[in-house]
Amino acid sequence: MILQFLANGLIAGAIFSLMGLGIGLVYNTTKVLHIAYASIFVSGAYALYFFLKVLHFSLFFSIVLAILIAMILNILIEVFVYKPCYLRKTSSAIPLISSIGTYVVLTNLIALIFGNETKIVTSGIEKSFQFGSVILTRIQIIQFAAFLLLFTLYLILLKRTKFGKLIRAFANNPELLSMCGVEVLNLRILIFGLSGIFAGVASCLVALDIGIDPYAGMSILLVALVSLIVGGVGIFESAVFGGFLIGIIQNLVVWKISARWQDCITFLILILFLLLRPQGILGIKKRMEEL
Amino acid sequence: MNYILHIIVMIFIYGILALSLNLLIGYGGLISVCHAAFYGIGAYTTTLLMMNFNMNFFLALIVGVLLTSAMSLFIAYPSLRLKGDYFFLASLGFQIIIFAILYNWVNLTKGPYGIPGIPRPHVFGLALESEFFFFLFCGVIFFLIFLISKVLYNSPFGRVLKAIREDEIAAEALGKDVPAIKIWAFAISAGIAAIAGAMYAVYVSYIDPTSFTLDESIFILSIVLIGGSGNLKGPLIGVVFMIVLPEILRFLRIPDTVAPNVRQIIYGLALIILMKYRVQGILGDYSFE
Amino acid sequence: MEITVLNKMKTDTLILSGISRSFGGLKAVDDVSVEFPPGRITGLIGPNGAGKTTLFNIISGFIRPDKGEIWWQGEKLSKYPPWTIAMKGIGRLFQDVRVFKKITAIENVLLGKSNPGECPVNLLFNSKNVIARYREDIERAREWLAFVGLKEKENVLAENLSYGQQKLLAIARLLMADSKVLLLDEPTAGINPSLIKDLILMIKKIAESGRTVIFIEHNMNIVLEIAHWVYFLNEGRIVAFGRPEDVLGNHEVRLTYLGL
Repeated sequence: MILQFLANGLIAGAIFSLMGLGIGLVYNTTKVLHIAYASIFVSGAYALYFFLKVLHFSLFFSIVLAILIAMILNILIEVFVYKPCYLRKTSSAIPLISSIGTYVVLTNLIALIFGNETKIVTSGIEKSFQFGSVILTRIQIIQFAAFLLLFTLYLILLKRTKFGKLIRAFANNPELLSMCGVEVLNLRILIFGLSGIFAGVASCLVALDIGIDPYAGMSILLVALVSLIVGGVGIFESAVFGGFLIGIIQNLVVWKISARWQDCITFLILILFLLLRPQGILGIKKRMEEL
Repeated sequence: MNYILHIIVMIFIYGILALSLNLLIGYGGLISVCHAAFYGIGAYTTTLLMMNFNMNFFLALIVGVLLTSAMSLFIAYPSLRLKGDYFFLASLGFQIIIFAILYNWVNLTKGPYGIPGIPRPHVFGLALESEFFFFLFCGVIFFLIFLISKVLYNSPFGRVLKAIREDEIAAEALGKDVPAIKIWAFAISAGIAAIAGAMYAVYVSYIDPTSFTLDESIFILSIVLIGGSGNLKGPLIGVVFMIVLPEILRFLRIPDTVAPNVRQIIYGLALIILMKYRVQGILGDYSFE
Repeated sequence: MEITVLNKMKTDTLILSGISRSFGGLKAVDDVSVEFPPGRITGLIGPNGAGKTTLFNIISGFIRPDKGEIWWQGEKLSKYPPWTIAMKGIGRLFQDVRVFKKITAIENVLLGKSNPGECPVNLLFNSKNVIARYREDIERAREWLAFVGLKEKENVLAENLSYGQQKLLAIARLLMADSKVLLLDEPTAGINPSLIKDLILMIKKIAESGRTVIFIEHNMNIVLEIAHWVYFLNEGRIVAFGRPEDVLGNHEVRLTYLGL
């Protein structure tokens, strides 16, 4: 019994981790709390729905296009909403508020176009496989496999490529990089593009599993944020640690207490971490800034 | 006629909410998305006391205000320790937790089923069943809250809040107990929001948790950011903008199914545009630079 | 320097005893023991980064010392938060002035003193007292504005005052606070020479009224003119102390600081 819940937790954790990596990538580098990421998630899922169910493209093409759309939309938000704030050197409140506004606009646009109800993307019963006492559907296995693939590629990117070096440098010392002027703006675009891919993949995986509604993005984003804080801000991979931890804890709560209290427990954990260990599990404690 | 009274009552209720959130944003500079939580705690406390214990509205209201103010400590304390984005996340967490409690503690709050049949208050023996008298009642309460806000704004307390929002360190060096003052700001802000909650509950006579969600917090936040904060006219113009707008949409024959989404798109755009070109909002004093 | 028990009794002499503070590996303040008696104007001089502002931050309570103690009126100060220390009579003028720009000059000065109306409970239950105190405070605030020569600027927003006027405003605010000890961080920096004369007179008057003045200064002429006593800090340590002429004539001081 517990193994089934653990397995479910790992699957859920895979999705949380993908979104956590995406939002963490943006926050660690640009320091923007990209609330609008929730609508990127939803856009990817609805793009999949549109291409697959309305235009009847092949599954492969629909997924690719959906990921592309998420990527492009994320980049557009950076160019039109966050870049001006960066250039004006505003306080962090302004991009945050603009992000909230963007989320509201995009989510409601999607609700206008597609309606408020849940849209199912796949039809028929999912094939399921049995591993000992654990039952997993085909899509769940694909979710986990996709996460592993993407995370491995991401790690290689971070540690072995020039792009990865630039990302890490940006996170640690943005002023040094900004002395090269234009390069930073392009780097930001690449960062948002990559982050968009994470959301696109996650949204397709979830849409193919349980369908999509316009408000699902915020639910997932919230857990992604908790994963980021619990894992540790500042370290790019830590959101994975947080994501799986939260995924497992949520499913343990479902098992031992009740599914109703998942959210409450998740966010109690968030507040505890913010107060007691804001650097997360894997983060390093920052020294207090002196006067 | 009843329709116009309804609009004005909503303006009163949201006006009270906006004035109370203004205390945190316009003075503390804090972006908080948990105001619907205070709104909800006030509504539920007043309702439950009236329905389960037959308590008089005004007594229930006072208890509701005190309870909500006390609960605000759970987010006021983090505000002392957490900066900017991290406080925002804490307020997010507080909002979700309170909503989860309202939604899932069915034994206490009846959860998603809601609480119907909330009676109107009795004032001087009159039950305020008529829309017109209730409208007057709301007007009086709103006016009182407006006066209280004005007094606070111009008082030494208001002055210290303005100082703190600009330069905490300098305020501390002048002998101001900054943490205590911030906690007071939260307590007062939450307490006033609770009054709005109580008014809402007896007005629509039915409450359920879906009126007190994160989206509602974002809506209240938008009122104060669009109208402007740091003074008294900003929040009020924000309320007029946000409440009257959807009604104008109705005149433009935009269908009812679509209107809520269109309205939200408009205020989302307003937020983005204002942050780009007029950070202090329409009539605000305080900007975030 | 051994501080005798007598000194720790209720006295208006501010005593620092063995104060040390490091940041990372860097010793910003290294075993500093000094005394500031009432009525004396003490100058703190030394090269940039010598630890002077850090010392001020420690006295004001923004930074805790790693070692050592601060004695004031028979109490150890280091355990208190900055606002309590300020209320005990230690006032601070910051190097970057730090007036509240979005409120008027008189509101700035009013903030110097604590008012019962700052606690909401008093607004509700004690309003007569609040209003009475407010009326008194407005009068006092006007007096201090006049004292620093800003009487006509009473209702001007602080951001619309010149830098020098903002400094005077900050001083008026400190005077309103009725501080017994004034920590002035570079009080004359950025002020035009004609105003400096008035400022110097003001500082002398403040000290003559029995208050303690400690100031950080880079302008040696000012130091020579008003300081009764000088401490020279270098790399966190007190290297020399005494009357201004003596310290400034000191060979090591001239070498490290004045470059002579």
